[in-house]
Amino acid sequence: MMIPTARRISPTWAPYLFISPFLILFAVFGVFPLAFSLYLAFQTWEPTSGLAAMQYVGVDNFAFALRDEWFWKSLKNTAWLAVASGLPQHLVAIPLAYFIHSSFTRLRNGVVGAYFMPYITSTVAIAILFSSLFSTDYGLINIGLQAMCQVPVLGWFMPQDPTDWLGQPENIKPAIAIIVFWRYVGFNVVLYLAALQTIPKDIYEAATMDGASRMQQFWHITLPSLKPMIFFGVTLSVIGGLQLFEEPFILTGGRGGSDQAGMTTAIYLYRMAFDFNDFGAASAMSWLLFIVVAILTWLTNRAFRPRGPSA
Amino acid sequence: MGQVTLRGIRKSYATVDVIKGIDLAVQEGEFMVFVGPSGCGKSTLLRMIAGLETITAGDLLIDGIRANDQRPADRGAAMVFQSYALYPHMTVAENMGFALKMAGVARKQRDEQVGRAAEVLRLGELLGRYPKELSGGQRQRVAIGRAIVRKPKVFLFDEPLSNLDAALRVNMRIELSRLHKELGTTMIYVTHDQVEAMTLGDRIAVFNQGHVEQLGAPLELYNRPANVFVAGFIGAPRINLIERPPVSGAAIAHQALWTALTSQTSTDAARIGLRPEHLHLAPTGEGIAATIALAEHLGDVSILHLRVDGVSDLLHAKVGANLPRCEAGQSVRLLPDANWALPYDANGRLIE
Ligand SMILES: Nc1ncnc2c1ncn2[C@@H]1O[C@H](COP(=O)(O)OP(=O)(O)O)[C@@H](O)[C@H]1O
Ligand SMILES: [Mg+2]
Repeated sequence: MMIPTARRISPTWAPYLFISPFLILFAVFGVFPLAFSLYLAFQTWEPTSGLAAMQYVGVDNFAFALRDEWFWKSLKNTAWLAVASGLPQHLVAIPLAYFIHSSFTRLRNGVVGAYFMPYITSTVAIAILFSSLFSTDYGLINIGLQAMCQVPVLGWFMPQDPTDWLGQPENIKPAIAIIVFWRYVGFNVVLYLAALQTIPKDIYEAATMDGASRMQQFWHITLPSLKPMIFFGVTLSVIGGLQLFEEPFILTGGRGGSDQAGMTTAIYLYRMAFDFNDFGAASAMSWLLFIVVAILTWLTNRAFRPRGPSA
Repeated sequence: MGQVTLRGIRKSYATVDVIKGIDLAVQEGEFMVFVGPSGCGKSTLLRMIAGLETITAGDLLIDGIRANDQRPADRGAAMVFQSYALYPHMTVAENMGFALKMAGVARKQRDEQVGRAAEVLRLGELLGRYPKELSGGQRQRVAIGRAIVRKPKVFLFDEPLSNLDAALRVNMRIELSRLHKELGTTMIYVTHDQVEAMTLGDRIAVFNQGHVEQLGAPLELYNRPANVFVAGFIGAPRINLIERPPVSGAAIAHQALWTALTSQTSTDAARIGLRPEHLHLAPTGEGIAATIALAEHLGDVSILHLRVDGVSDLLHAKVGANLPRCEAGQSVRLLPDANWALPYDANGRLIE
């Protein structure tokens, strides 16, 4: 069939036309906000006064952010949460994946599915669930702790009074960390299981012949083989952990909790923009956060770079 | 050091019997080859000796000590896998030294032993490389080196050359022979390739469906195959097996061929085996009539696939190259060398 010449698209432009839906969406929702926030970081702007109210202020916003106590506090909170929720994720997920890989056959998919469930559950549902679990007077966790108080010896280490998990500043961060850990450990298990399946069975047999015990095989064969996946998983945890927002936001009612103990940087810059109406400072902080994320990702890369020649 | 004795070894997976009773004694310093078609249980048996598979029944003795329940590393056996199974994240030196490291040998001594093994295999310059920086042949040498470093009582090879190209395979065969002479260690070598079996083995065990069909020196197997399975498995092109012609109504050529073949041996055979190189071409007027169905000229020899009236299978003859009248469709006369005829009874066993 002949297409009339007038309707034909020149071959030079056809490919661009075909990928244009992505490019347009990416430009509108990706590039523009990115560029705009960078622009905003050097302006002072109150959005309610309209676009014309913007004023160039140089690096004032950055200087303000770096002198802002709450910004530093939010960074510390974020770092604390990223480490306390991220590190155990991997320390648990790797042995757990190894165990599932070597011990389950038929039940395997069900077990993996159970661990993966929290990852695909809505954050709001999870926050509601944990709010009830952590509730001071009726929460299951406190009830459990109270019950353990009755046990001799073990009882000595248990709190005598119900713990105010989400109200007391010193308890907020551990509570959030537990939720985040619980939510993402299954995702990491799935990552590590996928990596474990790519390790050829015969190198374990060779190691058996070489006299390596199961523990030694884990240490000398499994772990090094998982290194690329550890790098990938830790990178995701670093990036995700430093941008932690939803869980603490919902659990602390969007304000960061008493004494800002649960206020992550992402929450703080959200509040800076939408509660305090300072979009310039919020943008500057988001770029500072980006720099932190970039540096930590680079450090992760350094730490887990595979030995030997690059593939 | 390095005697391996198998007594009534069996292996079953759930309901399938894979190894059906093997009795075999591998002598000290011997190069023993297990050969057989794919799926006959060679690898399974080797892995049972290694300790990678449990033994369902029977006894495995290494140097007279029952090894059924010994840990693989304690049996004094080292294995070379078909896939090489090198540790990808370790250098060649670390790969070779891994067993020593697991055994708690000190760093310095380890390096020394690895260095010595590397010398034997000429791996010196490769010690710092990673497996993916090596060619197939080099990887194979490293895998062998890893086995040597452990100073095992017996080496176990599972089709170690089948991932290499043809030219390299010949080189490695020579190298393995040299290694065996140099080390003098017992070797058990699994292959489905009869050329490897014939060239490497001091003795060969021919496997079929989980049992040993025949055990013997290469030429013994070639010249006196104990049954039609061994006769057919060893030798290329395949041995000719000629059925006894019917008592009445046999084709003239078939009858003539049979008469010629049985002139030297017992006449109660059901089948006669004759290797292709013992089926010669005869001058016109003599011999048995045949037609060439296909001629393969290999340069040094020609393989003729021949149709003889009354004989169901094509016969194969290995004849000199450049003979006249050797094209498909042409008629020739055959002269079998009855001295080499192998008589088999109705059950396929050689009549002695
Ligand atoms: N784990 C297993 N479960 C059931 N059957 C097996 C198992 N491993 C091997 N087999 C069977 O045992 C037979 C022998 O296998 P193998 O020893 O690998 O043969 P090969 O002589 O080719 O090395 C094959 O028919 C194979 O299907
Ligand atoms: Mg095999």
